[in-house]
This record gives sequence, structure tokens and C-alpha cells, in this order.
Amino acid sequence: MHLLEVNNLTKRFGGLIAVNNVSFNINEGEIVGIIGPNGAGKTTLFNLISGFLKPTSGTVKFKDENITGLAPHKIVNKGIARTFQVVRPFRHLPVIANVMISMKSPRGARKIEWLKTHERKALDLLEDVGLSELMLEPAENVGHGDLKRLEMARALATEPDLLMLDEPFGGLNPLETDFLTKSILRMHLDEPSRGIVIVEHKLYALMKIAQRVVVLHQGEKIADGKPEEIAKNKRVIEVYMGKEM
Amino acid sequence: MITAYLKRAYSSFAAHVFDVPPRLLAFLLFVLHLVLPVAKPDPFIQLTVFDIFFLAAFAASWDLLVGRSGQISLGHALFFGIGGYTTGILSVNLGLAPWITIPLAVLVGVSASLLIGLPCSRVKGPYLALVTMALPLILVQLFKLDLLLPITGGEAGVGILLPIIPSAFFRMLGFGSRDAIRAVALATYYFALFLVFAASVILYKIANSKTGMVFVSILDDELASKACGINVTRYKLMALAISSLFAALIGAIRGHFATIVSPGRFLDLTVSFAPVMVAFLGGIGTIYGPLIGAYIYYTLDRFVLQKMTQIPFLAFTDWEHVRFLIFAVIVIVLVIKWPRGIARFVTDKLHDLEEARDLDERGKWIWKTYKKRKKKE
Repeated sequence: MHLLEVNNLTKRFGGLIAVNNVSFNINEGEIVGIIGPNGAGKTTLFNLISGFLKPTSGTVKFKDENITGLAPHKIVNKGIARTFQVVRPFRHLPVIANVMISMKSPRGARKIEWLKTHERKALDLLEDVGLSELMLEPAENVGHGDLKRLEMARALATEPDLLMLDEPFGGLNPLETDFLTKSILRMHLDEPSRGIVIVEHKLYALMKIAQRVVVLHQGEKIADGKPEEIAKNKRVIEVYMGKEM
Repeated sequence: MITAYLKRAYSSFAAHVFDVPPRLLAFLLFVLHLVLPVAKPDPFIQLTVFDIFFLAAFAASWDLLVGRSGQISLGHALFFGIGGYTTGILSVNLGLAPWITIPLAVLVGVSASLLIGLPCSRVKGPYLALVTMALPLILVQLFKLDLLLPITGGEAGVGILLPIIPSAFFRMLGFGSRDAIRAVALATYYFALFLVFAASVILYKIANSKTGMVFVSILDDELASKACGINVTRYKLMALAISSLFAALIGAIRGHFATIVSPGRFLDLTVSFAPVMVAFLGGIGTIYGPLIGAYIYYTLDRFVLQKMTQIPFLAFTDWEHVRFLIFAVIVIVLVIKWPRGIARFVTDKLHDLEEARDLDERGKWIWKTYKKRKKKE
């Protein structure tokens, strides 16, 4: 059984086919990278899986359950969390509240107990991504690199079985990239059954952590395999570098 | 050099004086209002403060919706008016007691908000603002129809509503008829005080609970809230329902105190815009700001602008609306000067002083030695 099954997913915007008949699977505990040049349909694919867009045709199955076209919050509650390419913090709220928002509150739990256990959990999460010092700062005062990590902590707070990161390294300097790579790997060790999908442009950082890479080009899947294989794949090189004359 | 130190020392001193926790501040304000009629038994002041209370609580309910959940309503008079009219029509035509009609009015107000909210919360854009702004005006025209005229009273309104605190009750206790009237005025004042204070506290608690946090997250970024697993539509409706509950409740009780529910005082555009201005003056999104805003608004309104009608060439026939225009200008200027409202401006200043005190150990030390020296002298 696969964690996530994407079958013949297609999305049309009028005449433009953004995602064309894409199928792939993600297994438990796998780190999968999705790469492709600009306009390949990576983010659209993300939006289709997480429910922000409804597919024209095709299905998305999560843990053998059809989740195609469900509302985004329902999909999050089923166990798929995502981040955004452009950071979207709740800028009026302090950093720790940003994380606490996405935690599930169990029904019937006393409010004070909820706050206590959740504050502790949120702090742990912030510590994991290295933001605990900024926890009381309103998110509007926090820098871009930190917001990227906050975005990840917020997604993790929903306790997902599948984590989808949309360009987590975008706009980060090499030092921050390194830190984030390490925290993703640490996260993977902590929760080995969790699947992670990463859409990324920075191939160097991605190839280091991904166990498998899916390549999209103009909405179609053109390759799927181990990073080393992908790096040698003729079609992929063609797409990225252009054809040999 | 020395003046700079003295200035810092003063700021450190001021921080000590003003460093009062907000809870204590609220309590002091409450006690101040509690002893006001005893300290100054002037019915005019009581009536003024009474009006300000209602305005403040009404604006606080608007603030929870707009300042916290980011759904703009430009016609909160709708819920206020529905509250007033429901209780009015029921109590005048059916002769029901206020304690039955007021809950019913609240129920009708909340149902109306849900009816409006269901379609509006699913679309982005200024639809809620447009719908809420238009509906009170439509209601006024509806109430003027011949068919509804016997029930709604048209322009004249519904009257006379039964009082919540009847003077017969005090006469039964053995008061003379004159004392009874005075006792009723006092009881009314305290009733309004407790009501408004309770409403404000409840609204403040809601705004700062986890639900309130979720409201702010929707205000900040709806898409990101969805990605956090929040049912945005449900929370938007919840904010609207809570806000309209308080607006309808306040409207209903206001109706009983005013004894007549008329379109001019319950459904007019001026009624809709009053909480907007009050909240902007006091500090939008603070919930406690409207109380300060209401004081400023009311003082300006009654003691400055209404006095201006006495100036001969300003005596317009339509002064009500001209006054509003002047208000709009004042609010625009204030919003440019203090975009976060007066209440926030003050708390920010206090916060700055607090920081100055923490940072400036040297200034504190100077202040201490200065005080010691003074004692010796």
C-alpha cells in the first residue's frame, strides 16, 4: 500500500494544460523531490493534492482513501500538510501562536490543559527549527529565512503523515539552506514513517536529501527514479540544459 | 548631559507610575463608573455615561467582527435594529414581557446574521460590507409599506416599549413616586453598566481565546489558515454570529430604554457608521479601545458639534448628516496621525517607557539618589 497515490491527474486552465495525466506514488517514510523548469506545473500539482485546486480529471488517494476535490482543511485533518512557496505567516500573531493555530484541539479537552500541553509542544517544534528565541515576537517582525522555518513548523504542528514543502529553500542563503536541510533530515529520523514531498529549484540541496525524484516538464511527468539516475537521464538534461546541436 | 539624564530619569519615574496592568486599569474604570452616581448624583451625567456605554459595547461587537476576523460590516445597524425592532414589535403588539422578547430578539438577530453570512463567507471581496450596508436601508423602506405600517409604525417607529425595570417595582418597595423615578434612573444606570461591562469582558475573552486567535489568522491570511486545517467558513460565520448576538442584545435593551424604536435611531446609516468611527478612534482590533473611542466620539458629538448649531450660519436643517461629514474628516485625520488608534497609541507609549526603564539602569540610579537626597532635606 502506498501512502499517496496520484492517478492520471489533469488540470486545465481554459486552453492551458497545467498538469497533464500525471501519476506517481509516495511510500511511507520516503523523501521525494519534484523538480522541473519554471512552469512545469509543480505548484499546480501541489495545489491539486492539497485541495486548493480541484482537478479536471484523475484521482488522488491517501491511505487508500479517495481525497480528490476535498476542502483543504479536511485534507489537512486527514494528514497532509503543506507549506507555501511564498511565506504566508499570520503577521499579527506571535510566532508561537502561529504554530499553535494549526494544532488540533481534541474535543472535550479542558482549555487550560490544552494550552499547557500545546504550548510545550509548540515550543518543542520551534526549538527543532531553531526559532524558540523568537517565540513571542509578532510574525511581522521576523525575517524571511526564519519565516520559511516557521512555515515548516506550522505544517509539522498538524502532525501530518505526509509533509509537502513548496520550495523550502527559496530565498535562503547557503547557511540557512544547510540548516534547513539538516532539520529536514532530523525530522525524517524522528518520524521515519512520515512521507515528505519537496518541490524545489535548487537541485544541489534537493539531490542531497531526496531518495527519489520525479521530474515534470510542461505538465507531464518525464522521469521518476533515484537522484543518481535522474542526474544521468538524457531527457532530463535536455529539458534543463537544452538539446545538443 | 544633565538634562538628558533628568529626562530619562523622569521617563523611568513615569514608567513606574503608569506601569499598571490592564486588568487593574479595567477594574479601576469599572469602580469609577460604579461610584459616579453616588459621588455626583446628576441625572444628566448619568444619561450621558449611559449612552456612551451602549455605544462602546456596540462598537466592541463590531470590532470583534471587523478588527479581529477581518470581515467588514458597514451596516451593523442591521443587527442593532433587528434586535430593537423584534423586541419592540413583540412587546407592543403582543404585550410580552421584556425578559421573553429580548432573548427572542437576539435569536432573530443571530439567525439574520447566519442567513447573510452563509452566502457571503464563501466569496472573497466586499460582499458582506455591501449586503450589510444595503439591508438596513431596505428594511427602512419595507417598514414604510402600507402593509407593514400598523406593525412597524413607519417613520415614527414602534412604541411604547415596556421598561425593563418598572417603577411599579420600586413603588411596591415603599418608595414615593418621585423617589421611585429616581431609583429607576439609578437602577437603569447600574443595569447598563453591568451589561456593558459584562459584554465587553466576554467579547475581550473571546477575542483572546484560541477562537479569537483563529479569527486573527483568517484576517491575516485565509489561504494559510486553510492550510492549517481551519474550516474558514465555519469560523467566519462564528465571528459574525457572536458579533450580531451582542449587537442585537444591545439593540434590544437600548430599545427598551429608549421606549421608542424608530428607523432614525436604529436603522439609519449614521447608526451603522458610529461603531466604525468609535472603533477607529479607540483602536481597531483591541476590543477595549471602543470604550475610550466612545468617550471621545460622544464628547465631540454632543459638546462640540451640537453646540455649533447655535452659530447662525451653521444652522443647517440637515445638521445630522453634516455633523457626520465633519466626523469623517476628523476620523481620517486621526487615522493618519495614529493609525493604530488612541488606545494602542497610549499602550505603545507605556511599553516604550517600560523598555526605557529596563534599559536605563543608570537613570534609575540617579532618580533613586535624587529622591534620597530630597528626603534628607
